[in-house]
Amino acid sequence: MAKKSKKEKAPKPQKVRRGKLAMRDAIAGYCFVAPWVIGVILLVARPMIESARYSMSTVRNTPNGLFVTFTGVENYRQLWLNGVTFMTELVAYISRTILAVPVIVVFALIIAILLNGKIKCKGLFRLIFFLPVIIASGPVMGMLVDQGAGSISTLDTSVIENIVGFLPDAVSDAIVNVFENIVLYLWYSGVQILIFLSAIQKINPSMYEAAKMDGASGWECFWKITLPTIKPMILLNAVYTIIFLSGNEQNTIIVTIRDTMFGSQGYGYASAMAWVYALVVTLMTGLIALLLMNKKDQYAKKVKLVKKEAKRQERMLKKAQQRGKKNAKKIAAYKR
Amino acid sequence: MAYKGNNINPQTFEKGQAKLIAILLPLAMFMLLPIVFIICHAFKPMQELFAFPPKFFVSSPTLDNFKKLMKASQSSGIPISRYAFNSIIVTVIVVLASIFLSTATGFALSKLKFKGKFMLMEINNLALMFVAVAVMIPRYLTIDFLHMTDTYWAHILPLLAMPVSLFLVKQFIDQVPDALIEAAYMDGANDWKVYYKIILPMIKPAIATSAIMAFQQVWVNTESSNLYVSDENLKTLAFYMNTLANANNSVAGQGIAAAAQLIIFLPNLILFIILQKNVMNTMASSGIK
Repeated sequence: MAKKSKKEKAPKPQKVRRGKLAMRDAIAGYCFVAPWVIGVILLVARPMIESARYSMSTVRNTPNGLFVTFTGVENYRQLWLNGVTFMTELVAYISRTILAVPVIVVFALIIAILLNGKIKCKGLFRLIFFLPVIIASGPVMGMLVDQGAGSISTLDTSVIENIVGFLPDAVSDAIVNVFENIVLYLWYSGVQILIFLSAIQKINPSMYEAAKMDGASGWECFWKITLPTIKPMILLNAVYTIIFLSGNEQNTIIVTIRDTMFGSQGYGYASAMAWVYALVVTLMTGLIALLLMNKKDQYAKKVKLVKKEAKRQERMLKKAQQRGKKNAKKIAAYKR
Repeated sequence: MAYKGNNINPQTFEKGQAKLIAILLPLAMFMLLPIVFIICHAFKPMQELFAFPPKFFVSSPTLDNFKKLMKASQSSGIPISRYAFNSIIVTVIVVLASIFLSTATGFALSKLKFKGKFMLMEINNLALMFVAVAVMIPRYLTIDFLHMTDTYWAHILPLLAMPVSLFLVKQFIDQVPDALIEAAYMDGANDWKVYYKIILPMIKPAIATSAIMAFQQVWVNTESSNLYVSDENLKTLAFYMNTLANANNSVAGQGIAAAAQLIIFLPNLILFIILQKNVMNTMASSGIK
């Protein structure tokens, strides 16, 4: 009983103090965030909203300034009905990305595990595998691709083409494309390797020890400990890969959008393209997130369920107790 | 326990390193290819540049391309040092300011409590997904609206808020133990001091990584010179190198482009080598409990 009263007393003064602290914290927080927020509103959010507006209008660039006339969904309709090249490119991009993401993520995971092993000159190896990051997004990459350095010339893609020939065109093209650009994909995976490596190193070594004691092999350790633990990182890497691939200079869609912007169809049309593209990218990211998140949350879900159940029972108990008290009072009153 | 290189690993690799190295070495070679290619490409004589099938390695290196580049740059009105100066100023400011912005914001989003911080993080994630090309014209209009065309600000401001580096930095600050920060508050530190004396030293690897990313983004950026700046005196080195390569006819331009590519790329590599110890710690330090 004494304990309970203490517990009840404690929150009151704490609440007052917490309010002040929270205020102070909040003010400090806003101070730290303010410059960034101003920057984002001015240079990221506002342009994005503007471009959404343009995508629903015709934009004419004249010497006297920009003329924007609202046309509703006309641009999108045009894109849907007449934008054949854009649509084919979009489909090609989707199938390519869906194939490339697993390739990059799995490759990064394998390399990260290998780099985590005990080898000589580990530092040097890590350095080398991270090195392509510094050129991956630069114009140098474009040059390399032009030179055909992104593919292994000895690898005869016609063989693969024959093998996957029975599949629909879009799919088989994408598969061949992956094989053609395999080296390019290896270069893109620097950051992913970094993220995986840091995640793998964060795993508590005593887990492995315990598993070893119970007679688990390295293979089993990988499937039962490493993989489940780094699952959030797999999601992170997959999302990062999609974003990287879709914002890349080598992406044909970006080039198309840029060309359209200064072409005859104008900026409004290009904005519509960009928004459709952004929507597709977001959808794809969401899809992958759904795919990879489902199983991860199983444990958390169970915990939540158990907690919910416990809370429900507590509530019921309280209700029962209250009812009991009420009833007791009623009975007492009745008796009196 | 102090962190020592590799004793965090599970002890599963007793069988020897030979097979690991056998797998890693060829892949490492592939990873090195782009850099080797850039260096080789710059020293290729004309007939090798246009050889078909394209050659990867240079067989008879010359300095011709660099000589041509020098010649081309001498014939233009503004000295190349002016462009280099612009580039350096813009790059230094952007790198420093974006590091400050992303660490301060990351600190606030991760450790301080205030309303709306989840929303801010969501906005950041959304910005991460959006195509930069699509906001080109609105961004120009914004810059015009702020009267910043033809100033250094036009180079600097669009690149300041980097969603990627904020994302990275925030992930790292999340790992800084709360106990450490609380201890600092107990000893009378204010938020600024905590940020300066605890957060910054502890996330050095993330800072190094985002510094490299920011540098790389600014240094090769030609868009701002293309769109926002019409004054020749304020354009950047990367833009200048591009024009040199494009202005000359395509055959001679190829050699110049190759040499220019190497010159633009070298600072990247140098910065990376200087900071590499910290970047590699990105992996190591997150292993510390």
